[in-house]
Amino acid sequence: MSVVFELPPELNIYSAPDTRDALLAWVTTQTAQSKGALEISARNVVEVDGAGLQLLAALSNMEQPWHVVETSAPFSEACKTLGLAGWIDARYLNNTTQVAT
Amino acid sequence: MSSSADSDQAFIEAAMPAFISEAGEQIEAIEMLLLELEAQPDNRELLDSLFRCAHTVKGSAGIFGLNRVVEFTHHVETLLDKMRDGEIALTPDISSLLLKCNDQIKFLVDTATDENADTLELKEGRADLVTQLQALSDGATPAGGGSAVSAQYAPAVATADLPDNALRTWSISARFGTDTFRNGMDPLSIARYLGTLGQVISMRCGSDTVPTLPNLDPESCYISFFMDLETTKGREDIEGAFSFAADDCELDVVAPETPGQKLARAIEAMPETPRLGEMLVQVGAVTQDKLDQVLSSQQKTAGMPRAAQAKIGDLLEAQAGVPPEAVAAALGKQQKIRDNAPSEDRYIRVQADRLDAVINLLGELVIAGAGATMLARETRNTSLTEANLHMNSLIEEIRNGTLGLRMVPVGETFNRFRRVVRDTASSLGKEVNFEIEGGDAELDKSMVEKIADPLMHLVRNSLDHGLEMPQERTASGKPAAGRLILSAKHETGAILIRIEDDGRGINRERVLQRAWNKGLVEQGVTPSDDAINMLIFEPGFSTAEQVTNLSGRGVGMDVVRRNIEALRGSLRLNNNPGKGLQVDIRLPLTLAIIDGFMVGVGKSKFVLPLESVVEVIEAADASTKVDSTGRHCLELRGQVLPVVRLRSLYSVESTLPERVSVVVVNSTKGKYGIEVEVLMGQQQTVIKPLGRLFKNLRGISGSSILGSGEVALILDVSSMGDLVTGQAQLSTAVH
Repeated sequence: MSVVFELPPELNIYSAPDTRDALLAWVTTQTAQSKGALEISARNVVEVDGAGLQLLAALSNMEQPWHVVETSAPFSEACKTLGLAGWIDARYLNNTTQVAT
Repeated sequence: MSSSADSDQAFIEAAMPAFISEAGEQIEAIEMLLLELEAQPDNRELLDSLFRCAHTVKGSAGIFGLNRVVEFTHHVETLLDKMRDGEIALTPDISSLLLKCNDQIKFLVDTATDENADTLELKEGRADLVTQLQALSDGATPAGGGSAVSAQYAPAVATADLPDNALRTWSISARFGTDTFRNGMDPLSIARYLGTLGQVISMRCGSDTVPTLPNLDPESCYISFFMDLETTKGREDIEGAFSFAADDCELDVVAPETPGQKLARAIEAMPETPRLGEMLVQVGAVTQDKLDQVLSSQQKTAGMPRAAQAKIGDLLEAQAGVPPEAVAAALGKQQKIRDNAPSEDRYIRVQADRLDAVINLLGELVIAGAGATMLARETRNTSLTEANLHMNSLIEEIRNGTLGLRMVPVGETFNRFRRVVRDTASSLGKEVNFEIEGGDAELDKSMVEKIADPLMHLVRNSLDHGLEMPQERTASGKPAAGRLILSAKHETGAILIRIEDDGRGINRERVLQRAWNKGLVEQGVTPSDDAINMLIFEPGFSTAEQVTNLSGRGVGMDVVRRNIEALRGSLRLNNNPGKGLQVDIRLPLTLAIIDGFMVGVGKSKFVLPLESVVEVIEAADASTKVDSTGRHCLELRGQVLPVVRLRSLYSVESTLPERVSVVVVNSTKGKYGIEVEVLMGQQQTVIKPLGRLFKNLRGISGSSILGSGEVALILDVSSMGDLVTGQAQLSTAVH
C-alpha cells in the first residue's frame, strides 16, 4: 500500500504552516502515483488544536479520499469534541491502534 | 488603499439617508409593536417581529459604523431576547422602558451624522436606560432612583415554564472569524469547555467553508460548529464560553424549545406553501394518512351551515394530536402569505421632491392645456377642438393618477397617536380606550404631515380637558375608562377627520364667562351655542393653566384652527355637555389641483370647487336689493335660499346685466346661492396660494391662472357660507 503520512506530535497553530506544506506536498505526490485513498496516521499526535484539525478539514474539501489509519488518544478526543468523530472510522484503523473513547 | 477608503466613505454618505429613513420605519414599527404587545403580551409573533426590527436597526447601523446606535440597541435586543426565551414577561413598566429606549434609538439614528448632538445630559440619560435594561436582562430588579420607571419591576419568570436551573437543551451555533487563531482563541477549546457545562447531545463541525489545502492560510480560521447542549446552565454561562472570542465570532444561542415550538419554527422557516395540511405534513407534525383521514371527516361537515363546519385546524388538533402551536403557526404562515403575496416588490421609494416637481409640471400642463383648448375653440376647427378635448381628458387622468401618488393612508399618522394617548393618559392618571377607525382613508402626503400637529393638539386636549378622572366618571355613571375615537372617512372631495370622546364636553357657561372676562365677547351678549363652542378656538382664549397641562407646547387652540384653515379645511364642534365632544375636521383631499366650476362677474373670473356646486338657477331679477355685504334671499322650491351677490360683495365694476344666474352650493353651513353673471363651466384648476396681503380676504381661498393668462380667484365656499348665513357678523363681534 501507499506510504502513510505521519501527522506531527504538535498538530497545532504553531506547526500548522509547516504541516500544511508537508501535507500538500505529500498529497500531490501521492495523487500522482495512485488513485487509492490517502492514509494518514495520527498515532504520534500529542497536542492538537482547531488549527491542526482545520488542515485535515481542508484536505477533506479536496477531491482525494483519505482516512485515518492510526490515532492517538488526544487526536481522537479532539475530533470527537469538534464534531469530527467521523474521521476516526474503526474500519480503517490498524488493529494495533487504540481508539480513545 | 486610501482611494478605497474614500469610496467607502462616499458610499456610506450616499446610503446614509436611505438608512435613516429605513431605520425610521423600523423604529416606528417597534413602537407600534410594543403598543400592540401591551394589549396581547402572549403574542409570540409580535415579540419576534419586535426583535427582528431591533435586530435590523442594529445590523444596518453596524454596516454604517454607527457604534452608538449599535451599542445601545444591543442592550434592547438582549432584553427582547430574554423575553423571547420566556425569561421575562412584558409588563407595562418594561413596555414604558422599551418605548423610552426606542425614542433613544430614534434620536441616535436621527443624529447619526452629528456627534455634537449627543450632549452629556443625553448620554447620562442613555446610560440610565442601559442600567435599567441590564438590570432587567440580568434578572434583577432594576435599581430605583431618578427615573419614572422604577421599583415596580418584577423580573417576571414567564408562564412558569421552566425554573432557572432546569435541564434544557440549547442550540449553539458559532461561526468563527478568520482572526480567531491569531488572537489566541481556539474553537476546539471552546467546544471542550462547553462540554464541561453539561451533556453534548450533538456536535457538528462546519468545515465546508475551509479552503482546500493549496488555498488554505493555515493561520486563519474558517471553521464553525453547531452544538446541542443539554445543561442546567443559562444563556449567560454558555455565552460566557465565547467571551474572549466574542469579537471574532458570530454566535447564536437558541433557547430550548418544546416540540410544539420546534414544529412552529419549522413551519415559519418553510418556503411559501399554501395549504395548512401540507405544511403540517411537511414538517412531520402529522402523517399524510392521518391528514387524509381528517380531511375526509371534514368533508362530512361540508354541507352544514358555515358556523357548524369543522375547521381543519381544530380537527387536526383534536383527531391527529397536532400540537396547537404548530396549527397556530401554520395558520399564521398562511395569513402572512395572503397578506404579503400581492405586496411583495410592489413598492418603490421615490424622493418627495421629484414627485413635487412632477406635480408642479402637471399644474403647468393643465394651464397650458386649458390655453390650447381655448385657442382651438377660437379656430372653430372641429377636429382640432376634438383632439384637444381628448388631450384634456388624458391630462385629467394623468392629474388624478399623479395626485394619487401622493396619497397616503392617514392611519400611519393616527397610529403615532397611540403612544401619545398612552403616555398622556398615564401621566394624567386617566384610563383611556383609544380607537382608530378608517385609517386607510387616503390624504395628500403634505396634508397628512401638516395635519399631524393640530390633530395631536386636539387629541391631547380631549385627554386633558375632555375625559374625566376615573372616579369622576364612575360617579357620573360612566365606565371608568374613557373612550377616545379617532376616525377618518371620505366625504365628497374632502376627508372628514373626527376626534370623539365621551368626556365632559364643553361647559358653555364657563366658556362664555371666560370669553366675557377676556373681552372676546361683549359682556352680556350671548351668542348661539355653536358660536360659544367655537370660542375655544379664539386667540387669547387658552389660559396659562391649559398651556402647562399640554406639556408647555405653547400652542393654543387658535393655532390649531389657523393651521386647519390654512389647509383650506374647516373645524366643527359637536358638543354634548356631560356626554362628550366631537371635533370634526374637514380637509380637501389635495392642495394642488381641483375640479373647478368657473363663473364670471363683469371682467372678473371666479372658480368654485365643483364638488360643492349643487345646481344653477336663473334669477329673474338682478335688481333685488342687497345689504351692505351683498346678501339677499330668493325662493327655491318653497324654501328661502340666502344668496350672496359677488358683484356687490367684492365691488366688481360691471354694467348690470339683464339676467343673472345663481349657483347653489352646499357648505358646512348649509345651502346658499352665489349670484354671478356668466357661467363658464367646468375647469381644472391649479391652486396657487394668495399672497400675504390677501390673507385676510374673506371668502377667497386662492387663485388660479387660466389658459389665457388671466387670474381667477377661487371662492372658499365654507368661509363664504359664514358671510352669507350671518356667522361673519358674530365673528367680528367676537374679535
